[in-house]
Amino acid sequence: MMHDLVQTFMGMVGSVCFAVLFGISDRKILWIAFGGAAGWAVYLLSRHAGYDLLMGLFFSSLFVASLSELLARVLKTPVVLLLVPMLIPEIPGGDLYYTMYYLVQRQFTEFGTASNQVLGEAGAIALGIIVASYLARAVLRSCKWLAPFVEI
Amino acid sequence: MEEANTLQEGSQGGNSSWESECCLSAILDLGELLLMHGAEVCRVEDTVTRLCAAYGFVRSDVFSITSSIIVTAFRADGSGLTQTRRIKERGTDLGKVAQINALSRKICAEPLPVQELNREIACLRERKKALSVLEPWMYLLISASLSIFFGGNWQDGLAAALSGLVLYGMIYWSSFLKLNSIVQNMICCAVTGVAVLLLVRLGLGVHADKIMIGNIMLVIPGIQLTNSLRDMINGDMISGLLNMCEALLKAVAVAMGFAAVVILGGAL
Repeated sequence: MMHDLVQTFMGMVGSVCFAVLFGISDRKILWIAFGGAAGWAVYLLSRHAGYDLLMGLFFSSLFVASLSELLARVLKTPVVLLLVPMLIPEIPGGDLYYTMYYLVQRQFTEFGTASNQVLGEAGAIALGIIVASYLARAVLRSCKWLAPFVEI
Repeated sequence: MEEANTLQEGSQGGNSSWESECCLSAILDLGELLLMHGAEVCRVEDTVTRLCAAYGFVRSDVFSITSSIIVTAFRADGSGLTQTRRIKERGTDLGKVAQINALSRKICAEPLPVQELNREIACLRERKKALSVLEPWMYLLISASLSIFFGGNWQDGLAAALSGLVLYGMIYWSSFLKLNSIVQNMICCAVTGVAVLLLVRLGLGVHADKIMIGNIMLVIPGIQLTNSLRDMINGDMISGLLNMCEALLKAVAVAMGFAAVVILGGAL
């Protein structure tokens, strides 16, 4: 539990710092902090609920992408600006490193497993973003009174 | 209707074609700024199309990839103009993207005179990235926090913070050399990797792999990958593929940079 909390907090720090690095400096940072932490919390919760790694990543990227599609329309700001920093904790940097490491060490069986895993994780995250983007458009286009919010 | 008048007034003055050229050029400047600072291609095309409509062009065809914008716009009298831009340098300043977005929203609601638009563009061009003095500290914090995030302990976080500073120094220094960015990434990562191994030898960090992961996260082209996905969802296959290729090459360069050190440094 303690480990989960520390990890979520560190993910949030990473999100916020990346936001600053990307030149964001106003109150959007607060939303990014919230989204970054909540995204990782969704991952941890779905892991605790018994889903596997890929499903967990899919759920959390779906959550983060939907949140940023929604917030972008409320705050009238481009979606990428919120989405990219919020997704930082989900990026499979660790597995990318191990893929490279096993390749260099010529442990090809482990390399195969690790590279499969990285591709799967990247795919799960991408699928979450894609589904959220389509959902946002489908919902906004199907409700007439939401029409002014379609374009962002 | 008002926006159409701005162009017609020009035509009464006799230099309408020149005025439209200036107007289109200003619009393309905005598109160029967007593309240079990390917006997706579909946003650039959308913004340029909207601005053309706001300034009274009856039809505009915009085609953009990550390194170029081409636009042909037709005026009400049927004459067409074409301009292109080649984008060479690209960076990430999403704050500026948001400002340009706000400006284009303002213009679509109520078009500014072209001179004023040019002044705004010059102002945007001049504006420094917000909080850029904090950049080294952000490198430090990001690598420390993410190295702990990926399972390192507090000592690893400390070592990652120091090697993150090394990485920042390398990137800052090599940005003056104007090398090919992929080779540049590789060299920066290799030097950082050496720093990590030295720190571990000195006894500051424990797990070299967790420290390196913290540093790797700083140079993974996350924004490019996300943009390429969003471009492909929007049907911009060419830009999506170009962006993805570049991002993958960068990721491989990062991996190769650290890998070179791991090979030379032997067992971690």
